[in-house]
Amino acid sequence: MRTSRRWLAAGGAACAILATSAVPATSSASPSKKVTLTVGLLQDIDSPNVTAGYLVSSFEVWNLQYATLTDKAADDFATIPGLAESWKGSADGLSYTYTLRKGLRWSDGEPLTADDIAYTINTSRDQAWINHASVTTNLTATVVDERTVTITSSVPDPKLPTMDVYIVPKHIWEALSAEDVPTYDALDGVGSGPFTLQEWKSGQSWTMAANSNYWGGRPAIDQVIFRVFTNPDAMVAALRSGEIDAANEIPASAVQSLKGEEFIKSLAGLQGGFTELAMNGMAGGIGDGHPALQDLNVRHAIAHAIDRDVLFDRVLIGQGRAGVTLSVSPDSAWQPDIPAAQQFLYDPAKANALLDAGGYLDTDGDGVREMPGGGRPLDFRYEERSESEKAAPVRDLITGWLSAVGVATSVNIVDDTQLTDVIASGEYDLFVWGWTPFVDPDPMLSYFVCDQVTTDVASVGNNDANWCDPEYDALYEQQKVELDRTKRIAIVHQMLQLFHDKSTYVVLFEDANLQAYRTDRFTGWLQQPTATGPVLFSNSSPTYVNLKPVGSSGDDGGLGTGVLLGLIGAGVVVILGGLALAMRSRARRDDRE
Amino acid sequence: MGTLVFVLVFNFFLFRVVNDDPTATMFRGRNLTRDQIDTLRRQFQLDGSKWQQFTSYIHETLRGNLGVSLQSRRSVATEIGEAIGPTLMLVGTATVAAMVVGILIGIRAGWKRRSAFDVGSTSVSMVTYAVPDFWLGMLLLGVFGVKFGLFPTGGIEDAGSEATGISRLLDELHHMALPALTLTLAYMGEYAIVMRSSMIDTLGEDYLQLARAKGLRDAAVRRFHAVPNALLPVVSLSAINFGFVLSGAIAVESIFSWPGLGQATLEAIRGPDFPMLQGLFLLFSAALILANLMVDLLYAVLDPRVRGR
Repeated sequence: MRTSRRWLAAGGAACAILATSAVPATSSASPSKKVTLTVGLLQDIDSPNVTAGYLVSSFEVWNLQYATLTDKAADDFATIPGLAESWKGSADGLSYTYTLRKGLRWSDGEPLTADDIAYTINTSRDQAWINHASVTTNLTATVVDERTVTITSSVPDPKLPTMDVYIVPKHIWEALSAEDVPTYDALDGVGSGPFTLQEWKSGQSWTMAANSNYWGGRPAIDQVIFRVFTNPDAMVAALRSGEIDAANEIPASAVQSLKGEEFIKSLAGLQGGFTELAMNGMAGGIGDGHPALQDLNVRHAIAHAIDRDVLFDRVLIGQGRAGVTLSVSPDSAWQPDIPAAQQFLYDPAKANALLDAGGYLDTDGDGVREMPGGGRPLDFRYEERSESEKAAPVRDLITGWLSAVGVATSVNIVDDTQLTDVIASGEYDLFVWGWTPFVDPDPMLSYFVCDQVTTDVASVGNNDANWCDPEYDALYEQQKVELDRTKRIAIVHQMLQLFHDKSTYVVLFEDANLQAYRTDRFTGWLQQPTATGPVLFSNSSPTYVNLKPVGSSGDDGGLGTGVLLGLIGAGVVVILGGLALAMRSRARRDDRE
Repeated sequence: MGTLVFVLVFNFFLFRVVNDDPTATMFRGRNLTRDQIDTLRRQFQLDGSKWQQFTSYIHETLRGNLGVSLQSRRSVATEIGEAIGPTLMLVGTATVAAMVVGILIGIRAGWKRRSAFDVGSTSVSMVTYAVPDFWLGMLLLGVFGVKFGLFPTGGIEDAGSEATGISRLLDELHHMALPALTLTLAYMGEYAIVMRSSMIDTLGEDYLQLARAKGLRDAAVRRFHAVPNALLPVVSLSAINFGFVLSGAIAVESIFSWPGLGQATLEAIRGPDFPMLQGLFLLFSAALILANLMVDLLYAVLDPRVRGR
């Protein structure tokens, strides 16, 4: 008897410990009914600190919390007034003077002045904040008066007058030393955007509340809750059941099944992100890339061997866009129209002819071509990313197509960090990876200049295909200082045509961000850019201030948690009671035996 | 203790064998200057030689400083501290429940060998033991969470919930029901099977014959003579399993978006977030070592033969 009592006691104690560990310290306060938009997503923020975070989800927080001097139009990314109501350029185009709106205030009530703007621009430049410095490195901001600030660039800067860096509250940030800035937790919740961060539960959710001091007026939604799912299917189920109002990065398979839902709309948002097959051009002189890939005809043959329509249909399941050339911006104005006649369309006969003409023949009859005059076979190392779920079907298709034109491949599966190392060392022939551009085309264009080719393993450049072309570099320098947008677009088109013709990248497809949202809760979902872009996680996140609740319902009409738990509890009691009775009666029968 | 030191050292190299510097990948395409990358490396403590990194890691860990997460830039101790509660609550409850139910089933099945109850419960135990827990979780989520909408699709509480006190506890229990049921079913089979076979072994022992000969009732023989003796292997199994409470539910936590240590581990691997992984694995190892120690101590209490030596 003693033993079993002790067991019971131990069990009871364990249960008590578990129960108390779950009971929170505080209590009382009944929640009021707030208009809440709940967004499901698969990625938690890494840090709410704008100088430390780097994940896409963190940018959504900053887009909502920190207003920018100039805003971006939802339709086409045109530069429109933000914190600044107007601006005027100097004759030489090097400086702009911005006039702030009247009566700007931070969410904590402190006035927002030209001081905050100058602090952010100058400090981010001096301390090289990771998300600011690429824009502010050549800029100096000078306070003229409380509502006026002049920003001067040391070099002609075509990005101006667009000033899309997040302005941080000086009264909070100036207390931090340069060393403390990146480790600051940034949970102060003080911002100038439509919503500010109230609470972050790591790995679970973060809550942003409407900012009454937002220059555009208080949003119609009281709060936005971002809820982290680790299971994409559960996220889609939550959208169906109405637990969440919108979902980001839903699986491609869910798009079809959501088609039949009456109040759910799904979409494939394009922001210029793409996936490419890159070939090692060996311009850096380090590594051991296959010499055949330095022959333009071989690169063209590879491009002709790949059927991008099939990739689009089978890998993207029709969500997104087939690839043509490098995409440098979500704004389609920067993309040249490359005539079909000049594109490297799927044509295995042409691929074979190009390789034959170059002298790459299969002399030993093993089905794989060799270098001209025999010798080294065209057997390319193919680096595949373990992180991408599309990588395996892409590899199956591409290696099949290449094999059909007599080109062998040896696949090597690596994670992103390993791939970065492999690329830096130049010890690869082909790899498949992707990029996502900013709105301004300069960053994406800059990756492919000769200066970005890695020549020293310790100093890795962005030019991952080791391709260098002086003509491209010259055009890059031109567009970098061209202040006339139309002329700059023309130069960029020329660069992209050149990049396309040299085929160091075969752009396989443009990746879409698959999203879905309920139409019975909120109206006013905005795609950025219009018609093709996403509604969530877009460049400047204009959807949230535009949403209005439908009617007044907010309750899903289901059983309340309490009622449900009561029912479950009752069920458990009944079952346990039944078991106990059964055992008792059994025990009595045992006695009689 | 030696084991813990081995883990401490091994952890450092384990995660750095595959790739030793994720900085470049983390900030790919951000147009960072060489200086900025160097600054980040310094902040991440990835600068300096391997040996310097290693000695500073050992030094700091011994001082109780687990370092700073590369992803959140918060201290690893804080991150782990936030995740440990939900895991203890979920896996702890499931382990206790599985143990109690499993042992009860095992006793009954073993005592009445080849009865309908034995055949039925053993079959069920075999099935739940063999079924992968993530599959079972998906199934339960699909049926009770989605089809009937009785339970939430994930998380530990309603997102943005301001509930406190008892209503918050109820909300958390509501969220915990499905993952806890999944784990209970998954763990239960093992206990039932082990307890049953241990019970059957005991049935043939002489002291049971003696107890019966003394004229004791069947239930008394079972309770006071068979069960205490049959319990020993299950005790060691339970204690070992308690060691796995912290690390044991990665798949199930992931399916139910449960913000515990399993989810934190997955996130850290994705980084890769070295300080976080080192901290987590150290904790998992320590828990297991502690559990083993508990087994030895418990044996001494339960088995007089061990105590005597």
